[in-house]
Amino acid sequence: MSSGRLSHSVAILLKALSLGYQFGFEIMEVSGLPSGTVYPALRRLERDGLVTSHWEAEEEAVAEQRPARRYYVLTRAGREAESTATKRYPLLSRLIPVKLEKTV
Amino acid sequence: MRAAGAPEHAPMHERILPAASRLVPAPRRLEWRLEWQAEFWQLRHPGHGLGRNHGGRRESLSLSYGLMADALWLRVDWLRMTARRSAFCGLAGLAAYCALCAMTELVIVGSWHGFAGMVAAHFMGGYVFVAVPGVIAALATYPLRPLRCEEMPEARLSSIRTRWNLFLGAKVTLTLALAFLFAMVVCQPVRAVMGGRADWIELLLWAVLVTASLRWALLNQEQRCQKCLRMLSQPTRVGMPSRNFLDWSGMELACADGHGLLHVAEMQGSWCWYDTWTISDPEWSGLFTA
Repeated sequence: MSSGRLSHSVAILLKALSLGYQFGFEIMEVSGLPSGTVYPALRRLERDGLVTSHWEAEEEAVAEQRPARRYYVLTRAGREAESTATKRYPLLSRLIPVKLEKTV
Repeated sequence: MRAAGAPEHAPMHERILPAASRLVPAPRRLEWRLEWQAEFWQLRHPGHGLGRNHGGRRESLSLSYGLMADALWLRVDWLRMTARRSAFCGLAGLAAYCALCAMTELVIVGSWHGFAGMVAAHFMGGYVFVAVPGVIAALATYPLRPLRCEEMPEARLSSIRTRWNLFLGAKVTLTLALAFLFAMVVCQPVRAVMGGRADWIELLLWAVLVTASLRWALLNQEQRCQKCLRMLSQPTRVGMPSRNFLDWSGMELACADGHGLLHVAEMQGSWCWYDTWTISDPEWSGLFTA
């Protein structure tokens, strides 16, 4: 996916990921995008190499008494796309707040 | 800790999860379910760092749509990846181009009757005299790599050989049909200007197109997996040409589904007339489908 073809919702998603929001529900919460947009977009970004995913360490999830989450992180190409998207949509920085603490 | 299956009184999105997971391709199904179960856990525990309460009916409907859309996207993407470079996709593409050329010709001629008459006259009146010698010459001068499946039982080899030959036959037929129709469409405006003399240009164009298309069809056949007929990918250089007397050097291409490797020698020797096909052990397939 070239950065020139980034849709507005994908730009929001990249921005949320760049600010440290890592899993689907958290991204939905902060962006206000519906699950029907967020999850397919995450799959597409992962397929296109802009995002990579990994499972949370089992011990960490057990310690917090919840199931392990799948975390999504921007790749190098994803960070470049995010920076292009931020230039293209300057209001993105105001739309999504910086993540202050780790979500339990 | 993994979330357990949805109980009877669970919200709609949790109840449709098993049905939606059937849409997800099997290799990704388990991970997909675990991911969504982890997300649902977050919904059931709104106090854990996330703001809104998502227990409403509307939220449940939206999530149900979301997980169905997610599962469907994965299925469609899987289908797209499966169809990509496949034999069916190749034949469908050729058939579509043939249909496009035929429709264009039909629009130019203006009637089914006129179109059928023109096709019959051009085919029997010229094309057949170019295409038949073209096919014979191509098969005689371009020897196809023989199928190498020594480790397979005879019945299996026979089935593979039949599919291989059927695909080659269908591809050559469609390629020749495309060459015929394309030349007719291209020569139609020339005929309006030059009249009967345009037939010589059409004949020449057929000769060029038949040669090129047959060459392409045979080369394309050589670059396919013997088992699934998918185009080979991931070309990798192996060995060094300067050590040709000691070891093999050339290009290796792999089947994306892990069925085998094609070794294309850089310089053919007396011990390797053809490209060599090596069947991968079925245990390796996991490496390719991951």
